[in-house]
Amino acid sequence: MKTVSLALRNLLRKPGRTAALAALTALLAFSVFGGSIVVRSLRHGLDSLESRLGADIIVVPSSAQSKVSFQNMLLQGTTGAFYMDAANLDRVREVDGVALASPQLFLASLKADCCSVKIQVIGFDPETDFFIRPWMEESVSRELGELDVVVGCKVEAEVGEIIRIYDERCKVIGRLAATGTGLDTAVYCNMDTMKTLLQAAEAKGVSHKVSSGDSDEQVSAIYVKVREGCDIGEVNSKIQGHTRKASAVRTKSMLTDVSDSLAGISSTVTLLIAAVWVLALVILLIAFVMIANERKREFAVLRLIGMSRGMLSGMILKESALCSLAGGLIGILLAALAVFPFTTLIETSLGLPYLRPETGVIVTTGLLALAAAVGIGSLAASWAAFRLSRVDPGTVLREGN
Amino acid sequence: MKKTTVISLLVLLLGAVIAIGSVSFLGPCVHEDGSFGACHWAGRAMLGIGVLLALQGAVALFCRDGGIRAGLMISSALTALLGLLTPGQLIALCGMATMRCRAVMQPAMRILCGAVLLISVIGVIAERKRTGEQA
Repeated sequence: MKTVSLALRNLLRKPGRTAALAALTALLAFSVFGGSIVVRSLRHGLDSLESRLGADIIVVPSSAQSKVSFQNMLLQGTTGAFYMDAANLDRVREVDGVALASPQLFLASLKADCCSVKIQVIGFDPETDFFIRPWMEESVSRELGELDVVVGCKVEAEVGEIIRIYDERCKVIGRLAATGTGLDTAVYCNMDTMKTLLQAAEAKGVSHKVSSGDSDEQVSAIYVKVREGCDIGEVNSKIQGHTRKASAVRTKSMLTDVSDSLAGISSTVTLLIAAVWVLALVILLIAFVMIANERKREFAVLRLIGMSRGMLSGMILKESALCSLAGGLIGILLAALAVFPFTTLIETSLGLPYLRPETGVIVTTGLLALAAAVGIGSLAASWAAFRLSRVDPGTVLREGN
Repeated sequence: MKKTTVISLLVLLLGAVIAIGSVSFLGPCVHEDGSFGACHWAGRAMLGIGVLLALQGAVALFCRDGGIRAGLMISSALTALLGLLTPGQLIALCGMATMRCRAVMQPAMRILCGAVLLISVIGVIAERKRTGEQA
């Protein structure tokens, strides 16, 4: 206990030196905690997307597939409106191996008054849907009526609020849970509401027609669940052959693309953390050796007044542990301030699913980062402690004279 | 450097970052058609708050009277509290969380104003302690 108070007093006596050492460990804790949270959030986002998608195959118009607009819409929340002949839905249902097929209709609004930006409106068929309904049931208890909408968690509209889309007054009846994907920025409604909105869009001169015909004849995407035991690749090829001006995309291939990007980011972050670790360890080692040399006489006096080698080593290690603990806590706090308030900015910059992990995971990561900071500080100081405890105090004091 | 000088300098610098940031790198949404949303006015309010904080920090830096300095720190703490509440609470922002005013301006201003608030409170405590020691 006495050596702890002595170590603390030693640290406070030299605030500049203490601050420099703490800053190094803060940098280490910042990189470990911040980097780990970003990587974990990306993984959590991918898991969320995987569990939300639910479909094995998604059929989209060929034009959407070629522009990668569908994937961008899903991952980044960019608005998109593409249409194909609704007859494709019947053609898909006729394919052997298709268990469920549900259509969706997209509309990119003009500036909605809630957002001052375009928002994506997604119409779905509640009777056949297996994609949005399970997600919606978590937060909305009643069925969607005419001009009722539910909003993604990033649309800042409260339940009961009226939002105007193409001058149609839509009532928000629920907010969906976060997915960490572009789906969070969309507004969802049933097909009847969508039809009204499409007509309102037509009236404002925004055409959504494939060719001639009315909005009943069009769909934007068809979500397909393959019957258990059937080969998804085979069903995908059959759908491709059966549909016209449409492309069947395996959700797994889309997720693999995302997963590859995530692996790239993950390895870059890991590499950067490793580089910071090595750099911090080397700098800390040099710093502790220099400090030990500078404080040789001080330690020699302490040895002469009766402090044992073990006590001296213990005091140096305690000094380093206290300093690293303070630095580690500061680093974690700064990383938390850099990562958590700017979650949306990081998500949109990376263009990948990004969902904050659970509190338990965050706390564990923080504790591990703190342990790493204290551990590396103690490791660097242990070399200096070992060398100093072996020095003969008499020789050191005579050298000074 | 004296503790009170460091505190005044930090308030001055953070106020300047708030003021400059609110019209540049931490600013609100810029609409393609040149129109203004509510967030534009929140940005303007933050410019005023930032300038006020910077001035309070500058005056505290050159002020020799401990009592006046403590008063300036209380004032900067309250101004920072106002800044903390301005984007989102007192002045509305855009309705989509992905928009710049919500993704960048609001969190950045909250962090900066939170830091000024904390520093100012420390400043007030330091001034009180100094006055107590002198008496």
